[in-house]
Amino acid sequence: MEVSRVARATRWKEWLTGWAFVFPAVALFAVMGVYTIGSGLALSFASWNGFTPEWIWVGLENYADLLWADPSLAPGVRRAAWNTLQVCVAVPLLTVLISLPLAVMLNSVRRLRGLLRSVYFLPYVTTGIATYYAWRYLLEPEGSINLLLRSAGLGSLARPQGWLADPSTALWTLILILVWSSVPTATLLYLTGLQAIDPSMVEAARIDGAAPRQVLRRIIVPLLTPMTAGIVLLGVRDSLHGFQIFLIMTNGGPGGHTNVLALETYELAFFKGLAPTLGLSSALGWLLFVGAVLLTLANARLLRRVR
Amino acid sequence: MTAARIAKTAAYAALTAYAALSLYPFLWMVSGAFKTREEILDGGHLIPRAPTFDTIVTTWNQLAFVDYFRNSLIVTGLTVLGVLVVYSLASYAFAVLRFPGAKALYWLFVALLFVPGITVLLPVVILENRLGLLGTHMGLVLPFVNGTAPLTVLLLTAAYRSVPKELREAARADGASEARIFLRVYLPLTRPAHVTIAVLTAVPTWNEYVLSRVSLNDESLYTLPLGLESLISGTVVRYNEVLAASLIMVLPVIVLFAFLQRYFVNGLVGAVKG
Repeated sequence: MEVSRVARATRWKEWLTGWAFVFPAVALFAVMGVYTIGSGLALSFASWNGFTPEWIWVGLENYADLLWADPSLAPGVRRAAWNTLQVCVAVPLLTVLISLPLAVMLNSVRRLRGLLRSVYFLPYVTTGIATYYAWRYLLEPEGSINLLLRSAGLGSLARPQGWLADPSTALWTLILILVWSSVPTATLLYLTGLQAIDPSMVEAARIDGAAPRQVLRRIIVPLLTPMTAGIVLLGVRDSLHGFQIFLIMTNGGPGGHTNVLALETYELAFFKGLAPTLGLSSALGWLLFVGAVLLTLANARLLRRVR
Repeated sequence: MTAARIAKTAAYAALTAYAALSLYPFLWMVSGAFKTREEILDGGHLIPRAPTFDTIVTTWNQLAFVDYFRNSLIVTGLTVLGVLVVYSLASYAFAVLRFPGAKALYWLFVALLFVPGITVLLPVVILENRLGLLGTHMGLVLPFVNGTAPLTVLLLTAAYRSVPKELREAARADGASEARIFLRVYLPLTRPAHVTIAVLTAVPTWNEYVLSRVSLNDESLYTLPLGLESLISGTVVRYNEVLAASLIMVLPVIVLFAFLQRYFVNGLVGAVKG
């Protein structure tokens, strides 16, 4: 009797301690997370311009307008969705295609390895408005990229309007800059993955007469699959969530050629003046969320099958 | 032998080429910061013909850099502090203590990884407007702290779990309180994980632009990205000044990176493995 009461008291004490430890995180989340997610979902079923005292409930109309019903909105959204999809596929894919060989090469050399690794890491550390402006300068009509092409005798490839103002190159230029800033982390992850591979396994294959290329294809790449899965998943997530580069470098232009869903959501939320677009923005934000979850699930499934 | 040597030379050539590509915008940043207004329009050459400090001096004087630095330091510092305090406590509870709801809460925090920032951005702004927080530094710090929850909880919980349970049992047998065990046993043993979290939080916060832009109106509260933006919003962009300001902004981050490099490296690897 006495023992069980003591046990119960200590159990209660542990529970209370646990709740006390998580309290600040839960409180912050309740306000900044639960409340905002909830009110955002509610707002996606309403029409509001941010200034009138009342929301007007419109049911699913915002979703319908965005997807097909409103001819002034739906085509733009569809195009932004297509751009987003291209970014989501191209950025992780190119990142893997560049960083895997880079890591394998870096792992094969001794001299300068540390220095090179630090240099490769710079784009990650500084990614943001400062480097985006520097790239903008380089991509101008008279910027160094065009001049470099001209002096290499590839003047026909140069873009006289500048790479970001030319509708045919703007999106892919941004994709390449996104790849440039995501290669550092991917390379680093592959490098740690490579260092964790048991050298005796590679040695055994070599003794059995496997050529270096076979070793790479049959042993190293399969062993790195978990890393690849992580890189692709994070890459898709970042491509869907992030739009800072689109906002800063082109703001969706020229003529919507680099508009993505997150940027469209941002514009609808903050740059439409008195027009009642806040409900539309919330609805688009939720569509993006659902899309992100579906894409992640599909991706995880695909990667599991490959593995 | 020769084939191996060729392979090695090719590897070094490719590695050097990529290093050049990584450095490319920074080289031009430095180059542009030392060019005059006339020379930057002339373009094309990396090494300035007549390097000048004037551009950096003018840019520094033209913008309230001291204010921007102070504001960026306040926002980044408070965010890092908030993240470390709030989520080290929560992660300790998830990793060590047993209480109802622990598992559900843990997975809830991790699942937030999939909520796009943009989906909650508008509601955050509306809420802060109501609470009178919009446009203040606190109004930036609170959502920033909350936004780091998934990754931080994931990493710190893993770090605390790696501490041997016997240490806690021993401390408890000596009559130490839970708070004391956390502060005296767990924190010292997991210091690297905390530095990693600090660094992983500080870098994106330092560069944050999206929420800052729509919340800060008072110029005296501007952070560095907004200050930098004001240089480019005019009709004529003076790229030598933009590049000088960009250089001023990234230099502290590069210095920080140079000192804390191994924490970056370990942290990112831990983040994906977790």
